[in-house]
Amino acid sequence: MIKKSRNVRDYKALTKALPTLRYVDPEKVYIHLQNGRCKTYDLYVKEGDKVTLGEIIGMRHGGFFEQPIHSTVSGVIGPVSKMFHRTGRKVDCVEIRNDFTETYHPSVIDRPDSVIEKLTQAEMVQIIKDRSLVGLGGSGFPSYIKLGTKEKIDTVVVNAVECEPYLSSDYRLIMEHPGRVVEGLKYVLQALGAKKGLIAIKNKNKALSQVLTQVINVRYPELDVKVVGLGNYYPQGWEIEVFKNALGIEIPNGVLPMKYGVIGFNVSTCVGMFDAIKHNLPVTKRYFTLTGDAIKFPQNYRVKVGTSVKELIEMSDGYSGNAEEVLVIMGGPMMGTSVTSDNVIVSKTTTSVIVLKNVDYKEEPCVRCGSCVYSCPVHIEPVQIMNAVKKDDKEAMKGLEAYKCIECGLCAYVCTSKIHVTDYVRKAKKLIG
Amino acid sequence: MKDVKIIRKTAPYLRRPQANVTRMMRDVTIALVPATLVALYSFGLSALLVILLSILTMVVTEYVYYQIQDLNNGEGFQLKNKSFTLYNFSAVTSGLIYGLTLPDDTAWWIIVVGGALGLFLAKLIWGGMGQNIFNPAAVARLLVVVTYGTIIASTQHVDGVAGATALGVQNADPFSLEALSSYGLTNLFTGIGIPGSIGEVSAIALIIGGVYLAMRSSFEVRIPLAFIGTVAMLALAVGLVVNVNPIEYMLFHVLSGGLLFGAIFMATDPITSPITKPGRIAAGFMMGVVTFLIRLFGAYPEGVVFSIVLMNLFVPTFDYFKWSKSSFTKRRILYFIGVVVLTIAVVLVGVYYAR
Repeated sequence: MIKKSRNVRDYKALTKALPTLRYVDPEKVYIHLQNGRCKTYDLYVKEGDKVTLGEIIGMRHGGFFEQPIHSTVSGVIGPVSKMFHRTGRKVDCVEIRNDFTETYHPSVIDRPDSVIEKLTQAEMVQIIKDRSLVGLGGSGFPSYIKLGTKEKIDTVVVNAVECEPYLSSDYRLIMEHPGRVVEGLKYVLQALGAKKGLIAIKNKNKALSQVLTQVINVRYPELDVKVVGLGNYYPQGWEIEVFKNALGIEIPNGVLPMKYGVIGFNVSTCVGMFDAIKHNLPVTKRYFTLTGDAIKFPQNYRVKVGTSVKELIEMSDGYSGNAEEVLVIMGGPMMGTSVTSDNVIVSKTTTSVIVLKNVDYKEEPCVRCGSCVYSCPVHIEPVQIMNAVKKDDKEAMKGLEAYKCIECGLCAYVCTSKIHVTDYVRKAKKLIG
Repeated sequence: MKDVKIIRKTAPYLRRPQANVTRMMRDVTIALVPATLVALYSFGLSALLVILLSILTMVVTEYVYYQIQDLNNGEGFQLKNKSFTLYNFSAVTSGLIYGLTLPDDTAWWIIVVGGALGLFLAKLIWGGMGQNIFNPAAVARLLVVVTYGTIIASTQHVDGVAGATALGVQNADPFSLEALSSYGLTNLFTGIGIPGSIGEVSAIALIIGGVYLAMRSSFEVRIPLAFIGTVAMLALAVGLVVNVNPIEYMLFHVLSGGLLFGAIFMATDPITSPITKPGRIAAGFMMGVVTFLIRLFGAYPEGVVFSIVLMNLFVPTFDYFKWSKSSFTKRRILYFIGVVVLTIAVVLVGVYYAR
């Protein structure tokens, strides 16, 4: 097959139409104390202490990325142990035993609309920082840094494209709580003094468009917010691709979109804004998809942050009967991380766990068909980079602009010979730093 | 809960289900079916023998080569050995293409020597499928032309030397349409009643194959379009200058000889073509230029195979990382247009002096 192809089979039908199950009360939650950016931490509580929902129990340190750690249940602190994190590494996690009372911390109180209307950008940034909101689409980038931008922003884009196959948590989130999305967007618009808001969805998701348009027209007629349907291909959800197709702005590699007067937030981050500003609540629950061809009952869940994935797999009746070897993937099947154990915790930024039957693809020699070159969203030449890696030719890797790669995985997906091209490009990126 | 083994891999975990090397190679074979049928209809049993012998030669050569290689590597003899690459149709496809480029009365030993040497020199010694620099079928054909050309020509065929059909007649005076009086354009188009290489005579059968490949996206349609388009453009330019009907002259050049066959089935071999869209168009263009120059000014009446093998040599140059770009830019398009105009000028100057 020699062609440009960005159609990735999406398998979303497994879970898209299913209502979200509210699985809110696990026996124990595990709150990770470290993450990819924060290696050190302080824990303000010790084993046996009682904590309430939303209470600050520690602080992750890491410069800009410093953020308070919140308890997501009310209960008793347990021991600190090593658990798998979304990144595939083992990190320190503190155990909290749930007392099932859902006692909120006194700081978790609703702000009246009259107060919210008067909030300035700096005040909102402070609220977001204290609630430790990060990019919930998976980036984990602290939202307060983005919200505190000094650039003049005209347009705020809410990214609800969700282009990865299998995932349907954002879809369900909008279907079930469209009001929170728009309200969150309203706060962002207010904070940044921006006039225009866009909610970017896939063109084929007509239902989302209807739901959002309805809410905007009836409840927020004063807002200039529009829903735009973008392409159904992969990786339409990549922020740069969203800006390009929704606004016609092409942002070059390495430049922040804020310089062009646009800013993008993931739809779950937007709802996080709503929770933080309206209810003064940190991210304690999240929409989560557990799906894949090796799980018995694929489902959408709303789970406490800190739940063990193993419990959720049990909730879905476990692995399907004919699966011998499986892959457990945190995030989407194109870019997610595969972990070696199902004893992983759901962190704030975990959008999904995909359990796939392990298929060992037989690699054939490259026939230079060029599909990877044609399909690459950043217009580099993956196959040539692969050959440069095999020859260890760093000059060629640089010349071929391997650093532009966004690791979307499309080159390996389309490969006629089923070669893992993405891995080579990743290696090249590492080699040239 | 059922216990399973959890494997660790790296993203992405999905692959396109329909992407498959065998499918691509098999499609080329299927696309050659119309041309093969016309060959069988026009040339009968002798065509069948040529085709079967060509395929057999290439398949056996590859099989024996890998058996020897495995034995050298200390593997025991197995009927189906590890490096067995026959399953993916690549040797069969090469053999079929090679067979279809030969005249119907080629001696059997010429077919065997040309095929075996072609596959060996063009493909196997470079490291097998995916590593070859030259198109095996084109090299095999070329070997036959340069080593046994006189033997084939001595069998009193008008098309003798290089698989050019009506072009052989025309070679005496490249600027007349004398050949057209003996072979009308309709005959060239359908291939009925035209002597020549068995698979190259029928334009319509080849175009059907090309359309099939394009629909299955199993080849890069830009290469044949650029290749044929360049020849057509240059022929039209020359036709306007010399005293012939330019449209007929252009159609004659496009339909006769191995141009359609070479452009659709040999030039498009992805392994031996550049990797980017602009590179592929540029390579197609260069093939067209070389073909036309050889036809007009060269010693051989036909230049398709020469141009393909010549451009195979330049593939690494097209793909050199300092200038290889996967997208079109305005500046590059302007340069390209400049080169096209310059080429037409050079050809016309050549025509002026050649007459």
